[in-house]
Amino acid sequence: MESMEKLDEIKELLKETDLGDFGKVMKLARRYGKLDLKNLYNKKIAFLGTCSMQLLVSVTKVLLSRYDIIPEVFEGEYDGIRVEVWNEDSEFYRFRPDYVILLPDHRDVLPLPKVLDGEDKVAEGCEKVVNVWIQTFEKIHEMLPNCQILCSNFVVPFESPLGNLEANYLFSEASFYRQVNLGLIAKRPSYVTMLDMDGLASYIGKGKWFDETAYFMNKGGFAYEYMGYYCDLIARQFMAISGRAKKCLVLDLDNTLWGGVVGDEGYDGIMLDPNDAVGEAYLAFQKYILKLKERGVILAVCSKNDVENAKEPFEKNEHMLLHLEDISCFVANWQDKASNIRQIAASLNIGLDSMVFFDDNPTERELVRSFLPMVTTVEVPQDPAGYVRALDRAQVFDWLEITKEDIGRSQTYVDNRKREEMMTNYTDYSAYLEALELEGKFEELTEKNVPRFSQLINKSNQFNLRTRRYTEAQISQMMEEEHYGLYSVSLKDKFSNYGIIACLILKYEGKSCFIDSWVMSCRVLKKDVEKFTVSKLLETMKNKNCEKVVGEYLPTAKNSMVKDLYGEFGFTLVSETAEGVKTYETTETDRQFEYKIKE
Amino acid sequence: MDTKSLLQEIFRDVFDDEELEITEETTAEDIEGWDSLTHIQIIVGIEKKFEIKFSAVEIKASENVGEFIELIDRKVLEKG
Repeated sequence: MESMEKLDEIKELLKETDLGDFGKVMKLARRYGKLDLKNLYNKKIAFLGTCSMQLLVSVTKVLLSRYDIIPEVFEGEYDGIRVEVWNEDSEFYRFRPDYVILLPDHRDVLPLPKVLDGEDKVAEGCEKVVNVWIQTFEKIHEMLPNCQILCSNFVVPFESPLGNLEANYLFSEASFYRQVNLGLIAKRPSYVTMLDMDGLASYIGKGKWFDETAYFMNKGGFAYEYMGYYCDLIARQFMAISGRAKKCLVLDLDNTLWGGVVGDEGYDGIMLDPNDAVGEAYLAFQKYILKLKERGVILAVCSKNDVENAKEPFEKNEHMLLHLEDISCFVANWQDKASNIRQIAASLNIGLDSMVFFDDNPTERELVRSFLPMVTTVEVPQDPAGYVRALDRAQVFDWLEITKEDIGRSQTYVDNRKREEMMTNYTDYSAYLEALELEGKFEELTEKNVPRFSQLINKSNQFNLRTRRYTEAQISQMMEEEHYGLYSVSLKDKFSNYGIIACLILKYEGKSCFIDSWVMSCRVLKKDVEKFTVSKLLETMKNKNCEKVVGEYLPTAKNSMVKDLYGEFGFTLVSETAEGVKTYETTETDRQFEYKIKE
Repeated sequence: MDTKSLLQEIFRDVFDDEELEITEETTAEDIEGWDSLTHIQIIVGIEKKFEIKFSAVEIKASENVGEFIELIDRKVLEKG
């Protein structure tokens, strides 16, 4: 109990700690290291690397506590990747990690090409190096099929024995490291996430990143000062792994998307002039926001304005790059922003902890920070020229993958607005559903859909019966096992194709089937998808001669919406614990429910 | 503040012990938890605070607090 309190204290201190302050970061890591957290372990993480790792393991551990991940850790020996991976009896395999973090070093890339080696020779050499790593991944995957791998790319060193010619020949060292990094991207299996250490080192500056004395003295792969950033890049990936990925960017308008106040200066008086340095800065910010939208981030507006005034620039200002159809939820009124952000979250059906808030006004930021601490509020500089950097470096949108559904998602929200407009024309909800011309597909999971399936399993919080999280690697593994059945449900209507919006993982035990996971995207609530899903499930089980279907509800802070779901579908409640865990079963596999979804 | 007091601040910070007292004779033997990892933290702490950079030879040669103080004073002086 005492450890818990101390851990909470550390988590509070972490919020205020500058990751660039090595002393402070280490102090928290040491405090964390002294706690007895054995009873709280919830993940097993192995670290294997070439350079010295003790410090970075201790810092990564403390940073993971931000996402409530308390890992039991295995730390490989110095330069121990090969030994641990290729010995099937190694301590590493016996540890059976859920995640392995591989941290190779550019000094591992051997052999390097010789001066004047031709293009073919270089390509061949590169393929050899890449293959060694791919085989390493495959070996780990073979031994630990459920394990997700995070692997650092190679930090291209600054040394240039060829001088400027490094940038002129494929056989140069710098060119070779780059080719190896590209090769790893091209051949990366889906269970591997590459960590962009080269990107981080480039941002800091390679001259500062590398510390030769630290390397020769202690085999530190980089200057210790950047330990916090290095470990944050590793730890941050677990935000998505633990279902806390940020999905939505909430934007202020006046002096955030344009210069000046639209209510005072009018839609054509605000500063967005492409021939003015300040106007250009706002336009550059809008351009960056559009890139976020293209990769699937949902955009929302939260502004203190009259709604007509606020919308006018989007409709009429010729320089605006963002348009109304890019904004999934547009809120402009005179209420406080905390309430408005709550309302945006509710209308988009996403959690407050998946929202990022960007506002030039420090008072608004402070208000949102204190009333909605789960919303990520980005610190914004005074100069609009720094907006892109501030948002980019906040690095809030690290996801494990980008899927077609992500890219289409923000469009879906915009289409939702059209649906809502249409709904007002119907007094009868079922007539409205009919008019949407819903089409659904219930099918066994296929290889190409694994990334999206895994994403839904890991991101869904509300319509999620048991909140079991599985990595892509684990899902691929289950697909191969006979006693598992994995089904996906996809949906489209006259406005858009939602793609896969529900997932089922079934576990067969004799003539009975246990629903291990049932999740659904909240974007398709009240569209009969759950009725469609349960009907198709029962039908499929009947065809498989399965006699009994068992479902379970495990309560979390977020999934109360489905607490009576099985009951509503006529399943019989078999047991209920004091913690609210409810078990249901049904033998009526020929039961069907009415839904407005065509196949 | 003299070098020793500044150094003491770094030590107190690294070892998370506000009562820690160092003398010129203090070595790794005398402080619980002074291992190769805390040693790195002390070095980085000193380098930051005094805005100097140690070489491998210098780090290897400094075994007690007195030697550190001497080294720091010399490097700060060289820096001018």
